[in-house]
Amino acid sequence: MSVLDIAKGMGVTLGHLFKKPVTVQYPDEPAQIKARFRGRHHLLRHPDTGLEKCIGCSLCAAACPAYAIYVEAAENDQEDPVSAGERYASIYEINMLRCIFCGFCEEACPTGAVVLGHEFELADFRYQDFVYRKEDMLVGVKGSKWQRREAAAKGTAVRVALEAPGRPELEGVEH
Amino acid sequence: MRVKVNDRELELAPGTSVIDAVFAAGYDVPYFCSQAYMSPIGACRMCLARIGAPRKDRDGNWLVDDATGEPKVFFFPTMMATCTTVVMEGMVVDTLSKEVKDAQRGMVEFTLINHPLDCPVCDKGGACELQDRAYEYGTGRSRFVFDKRHQEKHHPLSELITLDRERCIHCKRCVRYFEEVPGDEVLDFIERGGHTYIGTLEEGLPSNFTGNITDICPVGALLDATSRFRGRNWEYDHTFTTSLDDASGSAIVIDARTGRIERIKSGINPEVNKSWIDDGIRFGHEYAGDPERLRRPLLRRGDAFEEASWDEAAAFISERLGGLSGKDVGIAIRADATLEEGVAARALAELIGTGQVDHAPRHGPSLVPVHGATLQDLATATAVIVLGDVTEELPALDLRIKDALKGVSPPPLFAHGVPIADLRLKERMPRARERLTVVAPYRVGLMQHAGRPVVVPVGGEAAWLQAMTDVANGTDPDEGALGMGRAEAQGLVRQWREASKAVMVVGGFVLASAKATDAAAALAKAVGASQLLVPPMANGRGLEITQVLPSHARYDYRGMLAGSAKALLLSGLDPARDPATAARLGACELLVVHDLFLTDTAKLAHVVLPGKSGYEKDGTTVSLEGRFLPVRAAPVDNGEAEDLTGVVKVLGEAFGKRLEGRSVRSARRVLRKELGFDPAELDRLGLLHDLPRRRSGVSVGPRQEATGAALRVPTMVRPEYLARNPRLRAALGDLALRLHPADAAGHDLHDGDEVRVPVDGAPWRLRIVLSEAVPRGVCLVPATPDAPVGRAHVALEQVVHERRALEVA
Ligand code: SF4
Ligand code: SF4
Ligand code: SF4
Ligand code: FES
Repeated sequence: MSVLDIAKGMGVTLGHLFKKPVTVQYPDEPAQIKARFRGRHHLLRHPDTGLEKCIGCSLCAAACPAYAIYVEAAENDQEDPVSAGERYASIYEINMLRCIFCGFCEEACPTGAVVLGHEFELADFRYQDFVYRKEDMLVGVKGSKWQRREAAAKGTAVRVALEAPGRPELEGVEH
Repeated sequence: MRVKVNDRELELAPGTSVIDAVFAAGYDVPYFCSQAYMSPIGACRMCLARIGAPRKDRDGNWLVDDATGEPKVFFFPTMMATCTTVVMEGMVVDTLSKEVKDAQRGMVEFTLINHPLDCPVCDKGGACELQDRAYEYGTGRSRFVFDKRHQEKHHPLSELITLDRERCIHCKRCVRYFEEVPGDEVLDFIERGGHTYIGTLEEGLPSNFTGNITDICPVGALLDATSRFRGRNWEYDHTFTTSLDDASGSAIVIDARTGRIERIKSGINPEVNKSWIDDGIRFGHEYAGDPERLRRPLLRRGDAFEEASWDEAAAFISERLGGLSGKDVGIAIRADATLEEGVAARALAELIGTGQVDHAPRHGPSLVPVHGATLQDLATATAVIVLGDVTEELPALDLRIKDALKGVSPPPLFAHGVPIADLRLKERMPRARERLTVVAPYRVGLMQHAGRPVVVPVGGEAAWLQAMTDVANGTDPDEGALGMGRAEAQGLVRQWREASKAVMVVGGFVLASAKATDAAAALAKAVGASQLLVPPMANGRGLEITQVLPSHARYDYRGMLAGSAKALLLSGLDPARDPATAARLGACELLVVHDLFLTDTAKLAHVVLPGKSGYEKDGTTVSLEGRFLPVRAAPVDNGEAEDLTGVVKVLGEAFGKRLEGRSVRSARRVLRKELGFDPAELDRLGLLHDLPRRRSGVSVGPRQEATGAALRVPTMVRPEYLARNPRLRAALGDLALRLHPADAAGHDLHDGDEVRVPVDGAPWRLRIVLSEAVPRGVCLVPATPDAPVGRAHVALEQVVHERRALEVA
């Protein structure tokens, strides 16, 4: 190794010292997520009526290769319906520890009710906290269970450290 | 007949339909309207195939193809419906060519034109014939861009069945079913063409067998309302088992999901229930998921109960028993316990050293007839004598009797099972009513189909049977008891005698009396009829065979309750409705109740043990015809519930003994020795196994017979659970006290009133139903496991109104 080689190497180092760093300052700065990224699921509503799109058909559960979804359906009260149609999901759960974020559920859904969004900050402490219920996924709910717990404890707004362009399937989901 | 299906040649019996020929050859044609055990009518036009046959010339010689020298095959000019075409010698069937496929594809398209395709919300989805056939034979694409037919989406045909009129494909299976199987014409097509829909004339479906249409509807038009939206078909665990709701041994399939029973469907057992079950069996399962079910043992502490572990409960029981003489202990189990539970009860009695062990309800007489008939015998009989109300007591018999009246013998089975299209069956087939004689103390439903209905006075069966036997034997009968002229009686007897096969069905009203039972046996012998005896509960015959019987007549269940036992173990029984019995139970030194719920009796107990329902047990049962059938446990979340073998296991352990019958397996080891075969090896169809009558006369000898002018009558539903079966209760109403309108007037009773009335001294809350079918001076009240079918005293003068129908209206 000659002095020249060392100088060349130091040159590269020196060059990088003055370049703009590529490191993402996550979580202080939001991560930039691509539109087609598959993160936590959202359960959508019909934007006009506000009724849930999910009809509790369990097709997502049938398609899921990881057996992560559990659905129980019930009959809508026609006076005060939960979803459009005869039935709705009275229980809708996804176990985020089992889920492999393959998106099959989204493909199987006949109503476009379940869509994989962009949130990925799902780390938590207890097993049961990884089971996301309907209330944790309905459109309008922002953040993972843990983020929402922390925000509630601190009395601040839920902060989700990501930015993503929208995607038409994610009707009504905002970041 | 030699038939060629595509490339395969086969030999078939004349009369076979082409659709069965195709299936027998191992090929497939789609079909919607044909259904096993029902007439083929060619309504759906789905089963198309190209069919040809050779022809004969005027001299009877085959027309020959000049080129080959073989008989020439002439094809029909159009596609034929294979279900209504009968095979012919030399017939050639083509189901694979492009023309056939095109025709079938076209039919799928036509069928789907008016189908809403709402599979994601349809309870049939995943198990739907239309879905499967459209997938296999359709184009997968719709060219129909117009608006589809719109009709009512959820029309409650009854409380138990929901009809979606848009989904109906007009196959007519449901309409034909009602006319052909139970013979109750309660459903029909209304309107014509594209407007056709299914409907009832009046509200509801007055029949005991309505649920079967939900099994046979090829689409999701007719659905079980108890399981509405409860799960998708692929999510259910299917358990193929035998119903313990009655002694028919009907095959059922329990569909459970996440530890709950969601629905029951009919299983298939060609020699027992074919593919039909009654509504009591199908819809009467909701109690098993009732939130009030006991999940852990309860121990009495002062006035209250405390949850305890099984070991604590067993320790308590064994300690209390230690202070008692074994002889003073009584053990009574309900007669729908399995044979294995029976073995367990016997083993426990032996350990304790008591002869006071019994099953209840149990009529005095043996349930093993001298000349027994099978259900197949009944279905092929040319003379049937029915004593009692079988439509309620054992509904499966009702359907088999109606088979007998049609006179079509059971079809031969193919490798693919029962013929899909049995061409001997026709729509609106005449039923030979003269073959059927029905004798009961009130007008029962089956009498509509009987050539000779006979209404005898309450308790008058013995006299009638005796009189008929006298007629048969040529001695002088008591003409007053005959209920008909002597000549007519002689004619009947002659008809029974001359019948190629005569079967007598003996119901509870007769079996409740030893005298009447003997008289029935004598008449059967005199006219050469074989007998079917209807046990009061599912496994009565089995528990008799396995000798779950007291060592002495006075130690029977009634005797135990009357005071012969100081300590009692009651499994599934609830005798405390009667205040006198309740007082005695309260004074018992030890009362252990093993049941599903905290019943009146359980409330008096020292220890309450959580029991399993008939859907949750593994074991063996014996049907009324002596068929050994497997009972399998559905995956139900029942906490720490145990059947009797589990109870015996922990009690044995508390005594430091390993008892026979401590598990289903150990009980089966005992049974294998006693029966000569291993019950673990029974298949779904069961085994008709004749065991010698072994009952020792003393153990079940005659006991005091009930008296009274009223009758406890059988009901298709299980009255003990009706309150916890909300759908069934809504459909059929609360337990009823039925009486003649003229009698009601005298007591200020109106149809629909809710009253409190003492029955044999025990208070009952009943709904008044006025009916001309009930003779004057007679009241009909429901029988329960603790008060089986038979006579009773109803104190109408002590009626207290709880709610008047008029006030509600
Ligand atoms: S993304 Fe895939 S693994 Fe996750 S719930 Fe959906 S189907 Fe299941
Ligand atoms: S999310 Fe979609 S597929 Fe899943 S149950 Fe709801 S409607 Fe059906
Ligand atoms: S309701 Fe079902 S069984 Fe009845 S005609 Fe329609 S499709 Fe056939
Ligand atoms: S026409 Fe319907 S099955 Fe043949």
